Amino acid sequence: MTTRTTCGALAALLITSSVFTTAACADSMTMWVRASGTNAAAHLVDLWNSTHSDKIELTTIPDNQMVTKLATGVQAGEVPDLVSFDLIYMPDFMKAGFLTDLTADLKANPNFASVAEAYVDIATYEGKIYGAGFTPDVSILIWNKDLFKKAGLDPDKPPRTIGEIHEDAKKVHALGADTYGFYFSGSCPGCNIFTTSPMMVAAGSKILPANGSDDALTGDGVKQVLETFREMWTEGLVPKSAQADNGANFTALFKSAKIGIQGCGGFLISDLKHDVPDMNFGVTFLPGVKEGHVSAFVGGDVVAIPVGSKHVPLAKAFIAWELTDEAQLEGLAKNNILPSRPALADNKYFAADPRIVTTAKALGVGYVPWVYHFADMVNSDSSPWINMLQRAIFDGDVDGAITEARDKMKAIAGE
Amino acid sequence: MKRTRPSNQWQGWLYVSPALLFVGVFVLIPLFQLVAMSTTDRSLLGGGRFIGLGNYIKIWNDAGFWRALMFTIKYTIVLTPILMVLGFALALLTADNTPLKRLTRTIVFLPVVIGLSSSSLLWFWLFDEQVGLLNKLMTDLHVIAQPMVWFVSADLAFWAVVISITWKVLGFGMVLFIAGIQSIDREIMEAAVVDGAGYWTRVFRIILPLSRRIILLTTLVSAIGSMLAFDQFYIMTSGGPRGQTFTAVYWIYQNSFVSFKLGYGAALSIVLTVIILVFSTLQIALTARSQAR
Amino acid sequence: MTSAVLSPEAPAVIARRRPQARAAYLIGAISIGVIAIMGAPIVLSALASVKTAADASAAPPHYLPTALSFENYAKVTRFQAGLATYVGNSALVAAIAIAACLAIAAPAGYGLARFALRGKEVAFLVLLAPIMIPYQAILTPLYLDFAKVGLVNTHLGLAVVHTILQLPFSVFLMRSSFEAIPREIEEAAVIDGCSTWQRLTRVFLPLTIPGLVTVALFAFINSWNEFLAALIFMNQDTSFTVPILLVSVRAGKFGAVDWGALQASVIISIIPCLAVYLVLQRYYISGLLSGAVK
Repeated sequence: MTTRTTCGALAALLITSSVFTTAACADSMTMWVRASGTNAAAHLVDLWNSTHSDKIELTTIPDNQMVTKLATGVQAGEVPDLVSFDLIYMPDFMKAGFLTDLTADLKANPNFASVAEAYVDIATYEGKIYGAGFTPDVSILIWNKDLFKKAGLDPDKPPRTIGEIHEDAKKVHALGADTYGFYFSGSCPGCNIFTTSPMMVAAGSKILPANGSDDALTGDGVKQVLETFREMWTEGLVPKSAQADNGANFTALFKSAKIGIQGCGGFLISDLKHDVPDMNFGVTFLPGVKEGHVSAFVGGDVVAIPVGSKHVPLAKAFIAWELTDEAQLEGLAKNNILPSRPALADNKYFAADPRIVTTAKALGVGYVPWVYHFADMVNSDSSPWINMLQRAIFDGDVDGAITEARDKMKAIAGE
Repeated sequence: MKRTRPSNQWQGWLYVSPALLFVGVFVLIPLFQLVAMSTTDRSLLGGGRFIGLGNYIKIWNDAGFWRALMFTIKYTIVLTPILMVLGFALALLTADNTPLKRLTRTIVFLPVVIGLSSSSLLWFWLFDEQVGLLNKLMTDLHVIAQPMVWFVSADLAFWAVVISITWKVLGFGMVLFIAGIQSIDREIMEAAVVDGAGYWTRVFRIILPLSRRIILLTTLVSAIGSMLAFDQFYIMTSGGPRGQTFTAVYWIYQNSFVSFKLGYGAALSIVLTVIILVFSTLQIALTARSQAR
Repeated sequence: MTSAVLSPEAPAVIARRRPQARAAYLIGAISIGVIAIMGAPIVLSALASVKTAADASAAPPHYLPTALSFENYAKVTRFQAGLATYVGNSALVAAIAIAACLAIAAPAGYGLARFALRGKEVAFLVLLAPIMIPYQAILTPLYLDFAKVGLVNTHLGLAVVHTILQLPFSVFLMRSSFEAIPREIEEAAVIDGCSTWQRLTRVFLPLTIPGLVTVALFAFINSWNEFLAALIFMNQDTSFTVPILLVSVRAGKFGAVDWGALQASVIISIIPCLAVYLVLQRYYISGLLSGAVK
C-alpha cells in the first residue's frame, strides 16, 4: 500500500516535472552513463537540473555494452551530448578520435588543478585533455572487526602488509570451518585488477605495458602477492567457491559476515551500512610487502563530450560545474560518493565516518594504468591477467604463469 | 504431397515476394556488408584497411576458435537429443485435454516465455554455492554432503548449462510435438485400436512416423539454436573455467566487442554461418525427402 | 467437430481406451512430478522476489522470505524513466513486430504451400537464413544502415529487427499451416471461381487462425524479451524497452548481481507473456486439434 502510494506520488511528480521542463527550459542535453555509475551520476544530474534551466536527461547503459554503444554511435552520428564511462577506456577512445578536446577549458579552470592526478593522467593524450573525473571509485582493504575481535585480534589494527593479511586470515579462519580469513573473486578479472593489482604495485611492481616494447609485470611484487594468495588458497583460508566466482559474489560473502579481510571498492561502505547495519568493519589502504607501502586502483567514471554532441558549450559548462565545490560536496559527498578532488575529503559530510575519509584519500595514493586494449589484457574472460591469477593461485605454477602472461600482454600491447 | 496443380508461377511468387524482399533488404544486405568487413582489419573504434583473406588465414590458425567450435558441437550433440526425447515424451504425456494435463502443459511451457538472460541468471543463482537453493536442497535431502561449486569444473559447468537450457526450452518442442500428435487423423488411431495395437505400438508405429516431419524440423531449429548458443554461457560460466566453455558465438563476441576486432569477428561469423548453412541444407534435404515419401 | 474433440469428456485419442487405474495413477503422478520440477525455479524466484535485499543474497539461503518486502519491486518500478515507459515501448515494438510477422509470413506461407513454384525449396532456405547467422554480428552493419535512413532510435526500426529474428520461424509455421488444409476445400473454392487472393482471405485464413495465433504468440514473447538489439538500436532512456531496464537494474559493480532485483525482474518479465499465452491458449488448442502443424 505504502509502496503504491509512493509510486503514484513519484509518477505524478515525474509528470509534473516533465511538463514543467518542456515549458520552462531553454535546452535539454542527453547523457549516457554506464549502469555502475548511474546512482552517483543521478545525484549530480539531479542537482544540476534543480539549479539550472537547461536540463540533462540521463540514460543508463549496461556496463559491458558501453564501448559498443559509443563506438557505433559515433560512427553513425547518433551520440549523446555527454557520456560517463569507465575511465579505463579513455586511451582507446581518445586515440580513436571519439572525444572532444577540452584542453583549453580545463586548463583555464581553477578547480581542475586539484583533481586527483590519476584522472588527469588517464584523460591526457598527446598533450591534450579529453575528459574529467566524474564519479570516482577506488579500491581499499576492508576488514570485519567483529570477526577480528572474536579471533583475538585487535579489531582496530588492520593488516599493514600482505604478510599480515595472511597471518590475520589464519586466525580468523580458526574461528570455524564456515568462517574464512580472506576473499577474492577468482574468475573475475575486473575485481582483481581493482583489488589485487594495487598490492603488487604497492610492492614495487608495474603491471601493464603501454606498448609492445614496454615492460609488463616487472619486479618481485607480482610474484610475492601471487605466492601469498597461493598459500592462503592451499591452507583453506579462502572459500572454495572463490575459484569460480566471476564477480557475482564479489561482496556477497563479506556481507554475510563470513569473511575476515578482502579487497574491495569504496562503494561497499554504503552498501554494508544499508544491508547489514549491525556489522562493524574497518577500511584501510591496500598494502604491499613492506609496512607503509600502499596503493589503490583509481576507478569509477570520467565524463567527456563525444564528437558529434549537439550542445558542446552547454556540455562544457556542465563539466566545469561538476568540478566546483558545490557539485563535489552537495552532489557527491553529501550522498557518500567520493569527490574527484581529494583535497575535499575532509568535509562535513564525511566527518561522521572516518572510513569514507580514508577511501577518499586513497584516490591520492592510487594508480590507473594508461594503456590501450585494457579490455583485452585484463577485462576479457580469457585475458592474460585472469589466466595468470588462476594458473598461479589455483595451480601453483607462479613463475610459469607470470612468464606466460608477460608475453601475451606484450603481444596485445604491440597490436 | 498436398499441393495444388500449377497455378500461375508469378502469382505464387507475388505472395512470397514481401518475405523475400524483407530478408533481402534486412538480412542479405547486412550479410554482404559483413562479408566486406571480413576482408578488412576494421576495429570497433573505426578504421579498416583491405587485407584480403588475411582474417580467414588467421582463423585457420586460431586454436581458440576451433576449440570453441568443437565445444559448441559437443553442446549441440548432447543437448538436442535430450530436448527432443524429453519434449516428445512430455507431448505424449500431455497431448489429451484433461485439466491436469493442460496444467502440466502450461507449467512446462512457462519457462519458454522468460528471456534467456533472465532464466540463465535464475539458474546461476540456483546453482550458486553460497546463495543458491539447489545446493541447499540437495544437502537438505542428503544427496550431497556439502554444497558443490558447479562452475569450478568444465564438466559440471557444462551440465549446469544443459540443465538450465533443458528447463528453459523444453516446452517449445513439446508444444510443436503436441500439435503434430493432435493433427494425426483420429480414424487411423481408432483403426489401430480396433486392430488390437497396444499403446506403445501406436506410439512407435503410427505417432512417430506421422510426426516425422515436425520432429525433423524441430530438431533443425533446436540444433541451429544450440550452435549459436551465447547468453547462457556468457552469464553462467563466463567461458570459464580457463576458457573451456567458450562457444563459437562467444568467441566471435569476444573478438568483435571485447578485443574490438570487428573485421576478424566478421570473418569468424561468416565461417560459422557457412558451417551452419551446410549443416542445415543437409537437414532440409533430408526433411524434403521424407516429406516426398 | 472441433469442440467435441476439445471437451475433456471426449475419449482421448492416444491414451488407452480403458486405461487401467494403475496406469492412470502413474500418469497423474508423473504429471505432478513434472509440474513440481518445472515450476519450482519460478516459485522459488517468486518467493525470493519478496525478500528484502539483504535476505535475497543471504548465504546460506532460506527457502521462504523471513519478512515480506516489496523493495525489490519498488526498485524495478522506479528505476530511471519508470517501468510504465519501458512497458509502453515494449508493447508498441511488439505490436508492430507481430503485425509485420503476420503480414509477411502468412502470404509467404500460402505461396510456398499452395503453389507449385519452381525453386521454392531454395526460397524457403533463403527465408530461413536469418536463424543461421549469429545475429550479434549483423547488428553492427544493420545499425549503421539504419542510421543513414533515420530508423535508429525509432520503435519501427527496432520492430523491423525483431521481425527479422522471428520471420524464419513464422514462415516455417505458416507454411505448415497452409499445407495442412485439405485439398478438397481449395478445389471447391476454385470451382466457385475464387481468385487466389479470395481463396487466401476467405477460405484459408480462417482455417489457419491457430497458426496465426502461434506466430503472434512467439513474436510477442521474443520481442518482449529481446535485449541486445533493443540496446544497440535505441539511444534514449525514454525509448528503451523492458529487458534493458531489467539488465541495468540488477547489475552491480564488477558483475555483482542484485539477486532480489533479479527475481523481481524475472517475475515482471513473465507476467505479460503468461497472460498473452493463457488468453491465446484457447485458439491455440482448438487450432492444434484442427491440424495447424503437420
